[in-house]
Amino acid sequence: MTTMPAIFQRNHLIRDAIGRALYDGMKLDSAIHLFGEGAHAKIHYDAPKIEAAFLDRVHTLPISEDGNTNFAVGASLLGIKPVVDVISADFLYRMMDSIANTAAKLNFMRPNEDPKTIVIRAEFLTGGPTTGQRPESLFTHIPGLRVVIPSTPRHAYGLMRTALSTPGVTLFFEDRMIQDNDEWSPSDLIPAGPLPIGAASWCHRGRRGNATIVTYGIMRQVVQRVLRRYTSTNDYPMLCDLIDLVSLAPIDWNFITKMLERTRYREGWLLIVEPDIQYGGIGAEIAAYYQKCRPRMQVRRLGAPFATIPASMALHAQMLPSEEDILGAIRSFH
Amino acid sequence: MLSDLSTETEIYTLQERMLFVRLVEDRLQELCLEGKAGDLHFSKGQEAISVGVMSVLRETDYIATHHRTIAHAISKGVPLRLLLAEILGKAEGLNGGMAGEMHMSCLEKRFMFSFQLVGTCVPVAAGIAWAVKNVKKTDDIVVVFHGDAATANGQWHEGVNIAAVQRLPLLLVCENNHLAGNVRPEHYMPVDVFQRAAGYGIRSNRVDGNNPGAVKAAAEYAVEYVRRESKPFLLDCDTTRLGRHKQGQGDLRSVEEKEALALRDPLLHAIFEPAIIEAFKAAINHIIEEVLAGPDPIRSV
Repeated sequence: MTTMPAIFQRNHLIRDAIGRALYDGMKLDSAIHLFGEGAHAKIHYDAPKIEAAFLDRVHTLPISEDGNTNFAVGASLLGIKPVVDVISADFLYRMMDSIANTAAKLNFMRPNEDPKTIVIRAEFLTGGPTTGQRPESLFTHIPGLRVVIPSTPRHAYGLMRTALSTPGVTLFFEDRMIQDNDEWSPSDLIPAGPLPIGAASWCHRGRRGNATIVTYGIMRQVVQRVLRRYTSTNDYPMLCDLIDLVSLAPIDWNFITKMLERTRYREGWLLIVEPDIQYGGIGAEIAAYYQKCRPRMQVRRLGAPFATIPASMALHAQMLPSEEDILGAIRSFH
Repeated sequence: MLSDLSTETEIYTLQERMLFVRLVEDRLQELCLEGKAGDLHFSKGQEAISVGVMSVLRETDYIATHHRTIAHAISKGVPLRLLLAEILGKAEGLNGGMAGEMHMSCLEKRFMFSFQLVGTCVPVAAGIAWAVKNVKKTDDIVVVFHGDAATANGQWHEGVNIAAVQRLPLLLVCENNHLAGNVRPEHYMPVDVFQRAAGYGIRSNRVDGNNPGAVKAAAEYAVEYVRRESKPFLLDCDTTRLGRHKQGQGDLRSVEEKEALALRDPLLHAIFEPAIIEAFKAAINHIIEEVLAGPDPIRSV
């Protein structure tokens, strides 16, 4: 069973990295403004320095999620680069119209204008039927949106910096299930400056010639924990490569293909591990893509069941693929 | 020769400008029927509102609008050739033929935003007004046009709420044609539109939207108030949509009802010199011919 933090609010590493990126971005570009429900309190939690340094660029809006995004779109028309803080990703369902219809179409509809920069920021929480949903796959279906889900502080910082400085509309997810107390690689903890959106991360190098595992968000941490346990053995998991997608839109197809080419086994073994409901998830798109160009490749998928999230945190944790599930899927290739 | 109203605004009366809008739309309607244009939304009968309001705005004031945009764009001085090219989906259009009549924009004329989804333009306009006031720090105002049916939509309320809370220089102009497509007000309108302002602590006024002089006078007051006080204001303009909701869609109103509405046509009693009608028509036809001969856009993304 996947362990989950009892009090996820204690997870600071990724949140602090986003806060640092916002601070550094705002310092460099006076057009960046933060908007959100309780933006002051939230930003205060994230990075007290932001509010102190940029008090006139942090703006609290009512609990009117859809209107707030449209409001931010309006501000962007005069050159503001808004960061809209949504808090819970569940609220994105309320904002589907302003994100899918207004923001995502904005730059397409105005080819003769400077493209606008908008960042919409949301968190995956835990807690129940409408506080823990992962709607990321829905947004990957909408042209005009970038969808990113960093799983390390380095990526959180680097992608937020890029989202703020590259014209376009970015949906930026913070996965609050990712635990601070983990075996982090030192490089994952150190912000290395802006990182490109659309580049996957090779986060575990297996011995050449085995399966490629593709994952993102909290599941990166879980899969990596499994693989690390086997690094000094001769068992199958030590042979696996692990890719963190980081960006779900656009997807780094070239990198996944390159990883698959490392295999010696026929046309490759691919395991996709998603923290989202598997049915209709991004993994289906990846599987279908390689089914077409590598028809003999074997593909396995793991993800959450097609079910509503219960309030019980113990039950919620059981919805994610477990370490045993991952191990079983790796062994099933052989 | 007249190419757009912006450069020669001063020499035309309000009624002549309304005539110009009417003639452009009439010509576009012919193109719809010929299959050279999509199903467009026309403002026939409502022209006095856009012409009247725009006549008291500064060139530097901003507007945002809904899906029935052609009259607004012409009245705001958007170059007619680029406007028509966008409506007809041509490469030289305002938005390269990508946006069409319901999503076009023209930053140069501060025609900032138009949008098909009812209500969306209100919070977007609030965002523009916020940036004008707090970032640009000028005393320009933002005018947002919407229909009466939009006031039944959450986006209208969320946008007005933010504008009221933040005291934004936003003038809401309701083109109150008492219709939501083919749906009657009894299905969406529990009060008069101007009464909705009270819930947000903002001022409002009601005016005969088919009388350009009355619209102009009411708008003059409202614009001055919004500019001076930096507060939203709701101007409820009672009007008549004489045509269909959009070209190609049925109209459930009876012939008798439409005949009665036609008596309120703002151009019913207007008398024009034949020469000016001919000059307008010739200018419009010339531009449309050139636009239609222009290239279609090439998709780049």
